[in-house]
Amino acid sequence: MASVSELYDVTWEEMRDKLRKWRDENYRNSEQIVDVGEELLNEHASKLGDDIWIIYEQVMIAALDCSRDDLAVSCLQELKRQFPGSHRVKRLAGMRLEALERYEDATKLYDSILQDDPTNTAARKRKMAMLKAQGKSPEAIRDLNEYLEQFVGDQEAWHELSELYINEHDYAKAAFCLEELMMTNPHNHLYCEQYAEVKYTQGGLDNLELSRKYFAQALKLNNRNMRALFGFYMSASHIAASPKVSAKVKKDNVRYAAWAASQINRAYQSIIRKCDRL
Amino acid sequence: MAGPELFLDSSIRIWVVLPIVFITFLVGVIRHYVTQLLHSDKKVELEQVSDSQVLLRSRILRENGKYLPKQSKRDLEEGRLSLHSATPCHTLWMVLNWSQFHPTTGQQPKHSSKAFAMRKHYFNNAESGFFKKVKRKVIPKNPMTDTSMVTDMMKGNLTNVLPMILIGGWINWAFSGFVTTKVPFPLTLRFKPMLQRGIELLSLDASWVSSASWYFLNVFGLRSMYNLLLGHNNAADQSSIMQDHMTGAAMPVPPDPNKAFKSEWEALEIVNHHWALESVEEELICRDLNFGGMFSRELKTTMF
Repeated sequence: MASVSELYDVTWEEMRDKLRKWRDENYRNSEQIVDVGEELLNEHASKLGDDIWIIYEQVMIAALDCSRDDLAVSCLQELKRQFPGSHRVKRLAGMRLEALERYEDATKLYDSILQDDPTNTAARKRKMAMLKAQGKSPEAIRDLNEYLEQFVGDQEAWHELSELYINEHDYAKAAFCLEELMMTNPHNHLYCEQYAEVKYTQGGLDNLELSRKYFAQALKLNNRNMRALFGFYMSASHIAASPKVSAKVKKDNVRYAAWAASQINRAYQSIIRKCDRL
Repeated sequence: MAGPELFLDSSIRIWVVLPIVFITFLVGVIRHYVTQLLHSDKKVELEQVSDSQVLLRSRILRENGKYLPKQSKRDLEEGRLSLHSATPCHTLWMVLNWSQFHPTTGQQPKHSSKAFAMRKHYFNNAESGFFKKVKRKVIPKNPMTDTSMVTDMMKGNLTNVLPMILIGGWINWAFSGFVTTKVPFPLTLRFKPMLQRGIELLSLDASWVSSASWYFLNVFGLRSMYNLLLGHNNAADQSSIMQDHMTGAAMPVPPDPNKAFKSEWEALEIVNHHWALESVEEELICRDLNFGGMFSRELKTTMF
């Protein structure tokens, strides 16, 4: 099997930089991380210096994703040797237990971390992730609510809660969580769009109007959000088609829908032209 | 009096001015590292973290609340909001159940968002609002008996004040009896005894100063050099110990959370909701969308 560096003709510095880029941008391409990282650790460990520990952590989590328990255990042992008694390493040990589906052992480990340091958010999040993995959605939701009562500013948690609520079809509460996210990140077009989609799903005239507004806001923030454009079109036409609206509202929405349709056409024209040129 | 300028021996420059600069600088750097060695991590209480995040949330609500929908007009007219609980999601649950069982309208339950109003109510309501209800027990930390504060104070004194006094005194003793430098602006006679220690000349211009004052000038002037070498927030920077207050973003909590709650409550009371999305569709429609570069780039399929 050819090594990564041979296949792509890259040096170890480039591999290390690539791993850093994946780390910073939160990629989840675990198989690639395992390939690149394993080779980096086996061949070039001495040259990495202090970077090696965070690479061990990154490769270990990726190895758990790919079911490579051997690699995960070796990384974990190196980390344990270097940082004995560290909470961060304990959490990684817990994650490995989770991967082996030994949920009670993992829970005991996380509880010991929390006894030591009640503000440790990582351990609490792992416990909730375990509940989600076992399919116990209502307990996960309940725990996440309690967590959010204390750590109101944790945006990752709000997003996770909104996802859990959507899976339970509790759209109103999901909308609440997304409102939190929109409030803290007013310029993120994705949150606006997700909120609009949830409102659209809830249905009812008020919600449709709200969804149309938030689709428009998402488009304003990012002109290239096609999903928001389609959502805008659909909410506007839905309102226009509803029998309960006044004439003025109907006229406005017909205008909006027509505009949206023309924009969609424009977008597809540009790609047709591009394809013709090729 | 302008007078003829005094000419100083150039060996003063080599053997006095420059050494004082180096000494001050090196002492500052050593102070920085010693402080780092003696630095002990402060353990944060869960309540403190939670409170600081709540304060941050309230501040964000004030700033960005205009992006949230406020309330539908119909609910304002019906006007009965009674939210009695403290948790965000529980609050929402109460609101929805109320609107579902609304007796008189007989219409579909309106899942209208009361986003901004609900949050403001959660914080500020006279009986059950968070800022009104939650009173944290503040144990005023007695500076004499609280051990952690005593050790902190001692460490601060040791690393900052003591070296300054010692070295200032040594320089005064070692480099006394002659003027070191001249400040570029004229000073009155009142400054003479302060800046010209050890030089008993009545007619000497007060702009000529001794080495001790040159030392103190250096202590403050080398701050920017420390920033260059040791990075921001370094411990050699003495001017920050002169300031008492640090207004932090989320982490450092004011020692009295009750005061912080009260000021947040007042700030939130006066905030009004001007929905930023009133005319967003009209603004959107007046021009074509800019699809620039949407389909132009090839998707990368390989790792590198």
